[in-house]
Amino acid sequence: MSNAPNLQQNRYKADLREVRFLLFEQFKLDQILGQGPFEAWGPDEVQMVVDEAYKFSCEVLGPLNAVGDRTGCRLEGGQVYTPPGFKEAWNKLYEAGWMAVSAEPEYGGQGGPFTLHITIQEFMSGANSAFIMYPGLAFGAAEVIQLFGTDAQKEHYLRTMYGGKWGGTMCLTEPQAGSDVGSSRTTAKKLPDGKYAIRGTKIFISGGDHDCAENIVHLVLARVDNAPAGTKGLSLFIVPKVRTNADGSLGEANDVTVGAIEHKMGINGSATCVLNFGENDGCVGELVGTVENQGMSQMFRMMNGARISVGLQGVAVASAAYLNALEYARDRKQGPSINNWKDATAPRVAIVEHPDVRRMLLDMKSRVEGIRALIIKLTRHFDMTRVLQGKDDEQALYHQGQVDLLVPLVKAYGSDQGFRVCETAIQTYGGAGYIKDYPVEQYCRDAKVFSIYEGTNHIQAMDLVGRKLGQRGGANLQGFLGDVAAFVKANEKHPVLGKAVKELGEAQEAVAGTAMRLLGWFQMGKMPMVPLSANRFLEMMSETAVAWLLLDAAKIALDAQEKLPAGDESASERAFYEGKKHTALYYALNVLPHVRLSAEILGREDSSALEISTESFATV
Amino acid sequence: MKILVALKRVADPDNANKVKIPPSGDRIDTAGLEWKPNPFDEYALEAALRLTEDGKAPKARAGEVVVVTFGPKETEQTLRAALATGADRAIRVDVTDDKLDGALVARALKALVEREKPDVVLMGKQAVDGDSNQVGQSLAELLDWPMATFAATIQEEQGALLVGREVDGGVAVLRVRLPAVVTVDLRIVAPTSVYSLKTARTHKYNDGVRFAALPAIMASKKKPLAEVKLADLTADSGLKVQYHGFEPPPARKAGIKVKDVADLVARLKNEAKVL
Ligand SMILES: Cc1cc2nc3c(=O)[nH]c(=O)nc-3n(C[C@H](O)[C@H](O)[C@H](O)COP(=O)(O)OP(=O)(O)OC[C@H]3O[C@@H](n4cnc5c(N)ncnc54)[C@H](O)[C@@H]3O)c2cc1C
Ligand SMILES: Cc1cc2nc3c(=O)[nH]c(=O)nc-3n(C[C@H](O)[C@H](O)[C@H](O)COP(=O)(O)OP(=O)(O)OC[C@H]3O[C@@H](n4cnc5c(N)ncnc54)[C@H](O)[C@@H]3O)c2cc1C
Repeated sequence: MSNAPNLQQNRYKADLREVRFLLFEQFKLDQILGQGPFEAWGPDEVQMVVDEAYKFSCEVLGPLNAVGDRTGCRLEGGQVYTPPGFKEAWNKLYEAGWMAVSAEPEYGGQGGPFTLHITIQEFMSGANSAFIMYPGLAFGAAEVIQLFGTDAQKEHYLRTMYGGKWGGTMCLTEPQAGSDVGSSRTTAKKLPDGKYAIRGTKIFISGGDHDCAENIVHLVLARVDNAPAGTKGLSLFIVPKVRTNADGSLGEANDVTVGAIEHKMGINGSATCVLNFGENDGCVGELVGTVENQGMSQMFRMMNGARISVGLQGVAVASAAYLNALEYARDRKQGPSINNWKDATAPRVAIVEHPDVRRMLLDMKSRVEGIRALIIKLTRHFDMTRVLQGKDDEQALYHQGQVDLLVPLVKAYGSDQGFRVCETAIQTYGGAGYIKDYPVEQYCRDAKVFSIYEGTNHIQAMDLVGRKLGQRGGANLQGFLGDVAAFVKANEKHPVLGKAVKELGEAQEAVAGTAMRLLGWFQMGKMPMVPLSANRFLEMMSETAVAWLLLDAAKIALDAQEKLPAGDESASERAFYEGKKHTALYYALNVLPHVRLSAEILGREDSSALEISTESFATV
Repeated sequence: MKILVALKRVADPDNANKVKIPPSGDRIDTAGLEWKPNPFDEYALEAALRLTEDGKAPKARAGEVVVVTFGPKETEQTLRAALATGADRAIRVDVTDDKLDGALVARALKALVEREKPDVVLMGKQAVDGDSNQVGQSLAELLDWPMATFAATIQEEQGALLVGREVDGGVAVLRVRLPAVVTVDLRIVAPTSVYSLKTARTHKYNDGVRFAALPAIMASKKKPLAEVKLADLTADSGLKVQYHGFEPPPARKAGIKVKDVADLVARLKNEAKVL
C-alpha cells in the first residue's frame, strides 16, 4: 500500500481521557488514595504513572511489536534469544519500575493500587502483547513466592524478581497434561538436605528461556514420591535455571534445558519452550513453603492474577485494533454517502460516514470499553479487600467474593471478545486489514491464544458454574445479582437510559433463572447439560455485567455533561460524554438481548451435541 | 553547575486533528486537548541532567537543575514530570497562554535568571505549537550573554561549554563562556552528545530522553515547586504579537500524476515555484 508504515513505527495508542474517566469518574479511585495501604498515593501520582507508563509503552514497547512478530525467537546452542530490542526494553522497563507499582515496598515495590497496575499493564500488553509475557510471568511467579514462600525464600527471590534481575515462569503443562493438570508426571524426590531432585518434561512454557535476565526462576508443578494421584498430589517447586548462592550470586547450571521452541500463529516474540528438567539427574528445586501437596491451591492464586492479565491482554489488543481501525475509517474515502445514493457523481466520503462502518466501530467501542470497565471493577474490588482488611472483615469478604466470581468472566469474555474485536477491525479496514502493512492482522493472530492459555475458556466456564456460583453458599452470585438489581431499580425510569435499563433488568432475571436451572441439572443427574451450557452461561453473565457497567458509565457521563459550561470550550468533553451514552445504548439494545434469548435456548434443553454419536460427525 | 531549563507544554503534536478553531476564529480551542511537554524542551532537560551528573551514576546530581514553566495551575503536571526525571526544583509563573508571546516570556525569564543566577539557561530550539524559535535568542540578547542555538552536542569545560551547532551541511563547534544561553536540537539526546566533566568520554547514554522512574515519581511530590506571579518578574506585560484571527490550514488537495521527469521539473518550477 502507498503509505505503508515501517516495521519499527509504533502503532499503539490509547484514549487517555477514557482512562481518566474510568479511574476517577466511574470507579472513584481517589476514594481509597492517601490513606491506609495507599497512604503514599494521591491522584497526581496516579496520573503521572499513567502518563509516563503510556509514553513508555508507545516509545519503547510499541516499536518492537511488528519486529518481534516478524523476527520471532531463536534457539541456538541451548539458549533462547529474544527478538532484537527486547533485552533493552526489559532493562528499561525495570529501570522505570513499572512492574513494581503494586508490589510490596518491603520488596522494592511502591505498594500502589492493583487497579493502577492493571491500568498501565493494559498499555504494555496493547503495545506489545508478546513482550509483556516475560515480565508478566516473572511478576506472577514472584507473587506466589510472596504469598506462600518461607521468609528465607521471600528474602532470596522477591527483590530480584520484582526488580527484573531474574525472570520467572509457571510450568504446569506436559504433553499428556494440558487442561488435565492432574495427569502431571514430573517427579520430585526429596534429597537429604531437604531440597528435591526434579525430573520431567514441561511443554508450552512461556518465557521458558530467554536472554533478558541473568537467571530464570521456574515454578514447577511436580509430584513427590507416594503423593496421591490427581491434582491433590501436586506440589510446587522453585527451580532456578542457574543455581543461586545465599548471597544472590549465581552458581552452576541446574540441568534445566530447552528441548525446542514452538513456531506459532501469534505472539511470536514470546518464546514458548519445551523444558527438560533433570535429564542428567542434576536438577534441584525447593518446595514453595514447607508443606507438600499444596501445589494446586498455590498455583491457583497465581492463576487468578494471570487470568486477569490474559483477559486484559484481550482488551488491550482489541483496544489498539479498534483505535487503529477508527483512524483508518476517518481517512479512507470510498463510495458516496447513502444520502446521495442516486447520484453517481456525489463526492466520495470517508468510510466512517457509512452506517455499516459506524456499526462496526460502535460495536468494537462498546465491547472494549465495557470489558475494560469489568476489569477495573474487579481490580477495584481487590483493592477494597486490602483497604478493609482487619477493619471490616465482612465487607472485605464481599469484595473478595466479587473478585473470585469475576475472574473467569474477565478471562474468558475478555479473550473471546478481544479476538472478535480484532476480526471486526480487519473487516473495517477491508482489504488493507488483511495486509501486513497494517497492524490489525497481527493483533488478530496474537489475540487467538488468549482464549487457550491459562486454562481454556471452557475451563473458565466450568470454574464459574462448578466452583464460583456455589462459593460461600451462593453469596457471591447473590451479591452480584443484587448489585445489578439495585442499579435497575434506581434507574429504570431514567429519561434517556430507562429503556436500556429495563433490558438490563430482564437480563439479570434471565441470569438468575439460568443459574437455578444449572443447579437443577446438577441435582437431577443431568450432569452433561452443565458443561454443554457453561460457556453460554458465562457469556450471559458477562454481557449482563458489561451492559450494567456501560449504563452506569452513561449515567455518570450524562450527569457530568449537564454540568459542563455552555459554549464550544466544552465541545470535546461533551462529545466524550455523548459517546458514553451511545455506547451504552448500543450495547444494551443490540447485544444484551442475547441474554434473554440464551436463557430461552437453554430452557429448551436441546442435547443434540450430546446425542450425536462420535461416528456421525463425519465419515472421514 | 546550576542550570535553568525552560519548559513549555504544547498540544500533543501526534493528535493535531484535535486542535480546533471555533467558528468565531478568534482563538484556538484548547478544551479537550491532551498536553505534552514540548519535545525540544524535554531534550533540553535531558541535556541539563546529563551536564549535572556522572553518566555512570545518574541518580546523583552534581549541581542543580531548576525547571520553569509559564502557565495555569494544570501545568504543574508538566513540572512534576520534570522533577520525577531528575530536576531538583520547579517554578511556575502563573499566567495563561493567551496572555503571552515570545518577547514577554523572554523578559520574564530575564528577571528569573537574575534571581536564580544559573550558569546556563538550556531551552528547546523552538516549541512545536507556534514554531516561533525566538525566546532563547531574545533572552540571550536581554541578558547580554553568549548564546549557542540548535545544539547537537555539548561538552562541559572549565567555565565554558563546547557546543556543536546544527548548521546547513554539518556541525559548527563554538566555545561559549559561562554564563550562557543554549538552545538544543534533536540530536542532543543521541547516546554520545553530551558530556559533563564527570562523565567518561567512553560512556554511552541510552538514545532519547530518560523516563521518569516510579520511585522518583513518588519522591517528586516532596521536591519544591514555587509559584511566581508574572507581575513580580516584569512590570511590562504588553504583547508584541497581536493575533487577528485563526484559521485551519487548507485541506490537502488531491495529488496528480506527472508524465515524466521533465514534466515534474517544469511543474516544480512553474506551479510550485520551489526551484
Ligand atoms: C502460546 C502458549 C503459551 C503457553 N504458556 C504456558 C505456560 O507458560 N505455562 C504452562 O504451564 N502452560 C502454557 N501453555 C499451555 C496452555 O495452558 C494449554 O495449552 C492449555 O491449558 C490447554 O491445554 P492443551 O493445549 O493440552 O489442550 P487440551 O487440554 O488437550 O484441550 C483441547 C480441547 O479440549 C477441551 N478440553 C480439555 N479437557 C476438557 C474437559 N475435561 N472437559 C471439557 N473440555 C475439555 C479444551 O477446552 C480444548 O478445547 C501455553 C500454551 C500456548 C499455546
Ligand atoms: C488477499 C486478497 C486478494 C484479493 N484478490 C483480488 C482480485 O483477485 N481481484 C480484485 O479485483 N480484487 C481483489 N482483492 C480486493 C478485494 O476485492 C477488496 O479488498 C475488497 O473489495 C474491499 O475493497 P477495499 O479493500 O478497497 O476496502 P474498502 O472498499 O475501502 O472498504 C473498507 C471498509 O469500508 C466499507 N465500505 C466501503 N464502501 C462502503 C459503502 N459504500 N457503504 C458501506 N460500507 C462501505 C467496507 O465494507 C469495508 O468495511 C483482493 C483483496 C485481498 C485482501
